[in-house]
Amino acid sequence: MTTRPFFSFSALALALGLSAGCASASLPQHVGEVNDIFTARNRRDLAVSVPGEDEDWEKTAAEVPKLLGKPLDADGAVRIALAQNRELRAAFYEIGIARGRFVQAGLPPNPEIDLSVRRPNDPTQPLQLDIGIEYNLSGLLILPLRKGVAEAELAAERLRVAGQVLDMAYTTRAAFYTVQARQQELDLRDRALKAFQAGFAAAEELSRVGNLPDVDLATQRAAVESARVDVAEAENRLLDARETLNVALGLSGEQTRWSIEARLPDPPAEALVFERVEERAVASSFELQELDARMRVASKRAGLARTEGNLPHISGGFHGERDASVWEIGGHVTVGLPIFDRNQGTVLSARSEFGAQRERYLATATALRATVRTAQNRVESTGRRARHYREVVLPAREKALAETVLQYNAMQVSVFQVLDSQRQVTQTGLTYVETLLEYWNARAALDQILAGRHRGLALGPAGAPRTNLPSGGDSAAAGH
Amino acid sequence: MDRRKFVQFGVAAGGALLASQAFGQNAKPGAAPARPSPKRAVFPGGQVAVTTPNGVTLPLKEKDGLKIGHLVAMPVKHTFAPGLEGDCWGYNGRTPGPTIEVVEGDRVRIYVTNKLPEPTTVHWHGVILPNGMDGVSGLNQRPIKTGETFVYEFTFRHPGTYMYHPHFDEMTQMALGMMGMIVVHPKRPKGPPVDRDFVLMTHEWKITPGSRRPDPNEMTDFNVLTFNSKAFPGTEPLVVGRGERVRIRFGNLSAMDHHPIHFHGLTFETTWTDGGEIPAAARHPETTVLVPVGSTRVIEFVPDELGDWAFHCHMTHHVMNQMGHGMPVMVGANARKIDPRVQSLVPSYMTMGQTGMGDMAEMGMPVPKNSIPMGGGPGPFGSIDMGGMFTILKVRESPETADPKGWYTHPKGTQAERAEDALLKADGIDPDATFG
Ligand SMILES: [Cu+2]
Repeated sequence: MTTRPFFSFSALALALGLSAGCASASLPQHVGEVNDIFTARNRRDLAVSVPGEDEDWEKTAAEVPKLLGKPLDADGAVRIALAQNRELRAAFYEIGIARGRFVQAGLPPNPEIDLSVRRPNDPTQPLQLDIGIEYNLSGLLILPLRKGVAEAELAAERLRVAGQVLDMAYTTRAAFYTVQARQQELDLRDRALKAFQAGFAAAEELSRVGNLPDVDLATQRAAVESARVDVAEAENRLLDARETLNVALGLSGEQTRWSIEARLPDPPAEALVFERVEERAVASSFELQELDARMRVASKRAGLARTEGNLPHISGGFHGERDASVWEIGGHVTVGLPIFDRNQGTVLSARSEFGAQRERYLATATALRATVRTAQNRVESTGRRARHYREVVLPAREKALAETVLQYNAMQVSVFQVLDSQRQVTQTGLTYVETLLEYWNARAALDQILAGRHRGLALGPAGAPRTNLPSGGDSAAAGH
Repeated sequence: MDRRKFVQFGVAAGGALLASQAFGQNAKPGAAPARPSPKRAVFPGGQVAVTTPNGVTLPLKEKDGLKIGHLVAMPVKHTFAPGLEGDCWGYNGRTPGPTIEVVEGDRVRIYVTNKLPEPTTVHWHGVILPNGMDGVSGLNQRPIKTGETFVYEFTFRHPGTYMYHPHFDEMTQMALGMMGMIVVHPKRPKGPPVDRDFVLMTHEWKITPGSRRPDPNEMTDFNVLTFNSKAFPGTEPLVVGRGERVRIRFGNLSAMDHHPIHFHGLTFETTWTDGGEIPAAARHPETTVLVPVGSTRVIEFVPDELGDWAFHCHMTHHVMNQMGHGMPVMVGANARKIDPRVQSLVPSYMTMGQTGMGDMAEMGMPVPKNSIPMGGGPGPFGSIDMGGMFTILKVRESPETADPKGWYTHPKGTQAERAEDALLKADGIDPDATFG
């Protein structure tokens, strides 16, 4: 008997029960999973709030307008960024991608039904019907292994995104500090300009009454105009800093009109004591945990490939044929012989991936320890320097100014020298602000490492930031 | 009591004074003596003892025909005027050192103990003596090391007014105040005897406001100018009687400046230099005597106008205390154009000098500690806005009983006052007259 396939189809079995889990895995659930990680680590401040439903994705979290309604502080900025930053939101959706894969990996293979109709050439013969059902048995056997790989991937992905939450919080905090510092810098540059303007006013008046040569007037004038450029530059740096923060906060339009009041806080009076930082950094590192999870993925993948390679491909089925009025029923098993392709290549790849992840783990641990030591040193050094500026250098400069005023009262020095001494106070203020910014950045970096991330930290170059003297130069003192 | 015994009595009294005051350094700065010391005719021919305003005379012991004295070169805490103390060097606890007062022909033995941190010598400036006693370190003697005591012995063969000072590291030691006057009375004085005989050593210093140590490196910018190391208002006034013959012996060991000392209310003649007596025929009347660096000048006068008479160096910067000149001229400037801007940065700032500087002394602005910039002294009609090489000659009817701190009371109609309108009118004076 010759038969010709009339049509065949593969029917999708809609396993409603299995797909139900997929429907509930929305954005809030991904966020919830990451929040759980932070809750377990006692970092509820990093909990991210998102709209309750995927459909509300455009809605702003309720706390954001409240936070924007008053002058921002660093914690508030972090809250806004966590609620509002869309890059972060995108990362949460990426958890959904991994979860989708996990769900997919857990679905059993579908049975295949084969139906064929044949019309014999002999018209007297009745229509011949073949019906068969085929099921991939090895696919079913391998399913727990596949599911294990996807689950490990999901876990790794969760850790990756949790790390991104930390990154977001850190970037926002650093951007906020920069705005504060730039605001303070602008104020101080403005003060320096005022000093030059006062000097110029004095020079102008003395010139008017014939007491000052033109060269001194011109020198004062040049100093004022240079200082004006310094102010403009500082203004631009502030605007840049605001925009960097706007990006982190995910704000645009009207929402970018936020203000800040607070100045960079002074460093704590006593140096902070950080103990066992290396241990703690290693223990909490999302990077290491993620690499660990990736190692598990690679190892599971290797196991899966090996099992797949060694397991003969088995499928079985039942078959019915209706010939005339009689059904003939039988079964069959197909066994693929794992002779040539035993997934050797895939196994090798997976094992190499495992090896690569293991080495990367060790390298990361080494880098992590170095980074945390760097951050700790930076916190201690900048803290010491900032305290020294605040407690020693600034008072010394102020004392020098007060003494200069006394010398002025005693008619030993000119108004220009008084203003010069005042600018030294301002200058020290500028250096203090830069040191303070470095300190808070280092603090944020150290906190970040201890919270679990050591990459992408703006530790910057070591050493005191060098702010230049106001452009007016150090000695525009006329009349001497 | 014969002269010799009197001198011994003076030595004892002087010794007590030394113990309590000179070495102890607890004399009030600028304090005037309650009474002028009585005239003491103790030298041959009725010559009176010299007075060193703000200073003392060196006690001399007599023994075997020698007059024996002791100078101790040492660091000294010195008050130039109230509010300005200096870490100086001097002799026997003071600058200038005690005045050495002897008679022509006296042989002296003077011990010099060095309590300075570096060697020193004493040069007897103007005195003609054996070469080995001249005190030039390296040339005539080896320097007196710290802790050593040298002895100088020689005879004062010539009467006159001389000085003494170190001749080792002269720049430093003199800049820090090491100097003193020497008076050698003649055995047989000529001319009319004097009733009062004063010595005044002029000197100049650089003391940056707020510091204490005079700067020996200064070459031009001296800001403390002194008579006997005192700046007005620290200078003691000289009290004399009307009609008395007064002698003032000036010596100048300033680093760089001669001082034209100008007198008010009298004319005088210069009678001696450090070279000797000027013949009577060569003398001429003056109101200003120039005292060159390294020289002495002696003047004599008889005042006949009662009153408080200023005399001072006529270099205007020499009658200012610690003025600086590191600032532009402010005269004529409008403070309102400057002050608001500067005060927004330095609240205590205030423009000064825009109407001149005469009122500065009275403004009472805070100044560096240990400084007397622009300082003057109080006078009966307000502040005397001079300082430095300035003092007052008080001519009184009864100088022995007059209060040296008291001011002269002007008889009615002998003092400048505000002109009454009626008088202006009567004399055809228009105060609003314009010129040009
Ligand atoms: Cu002078």
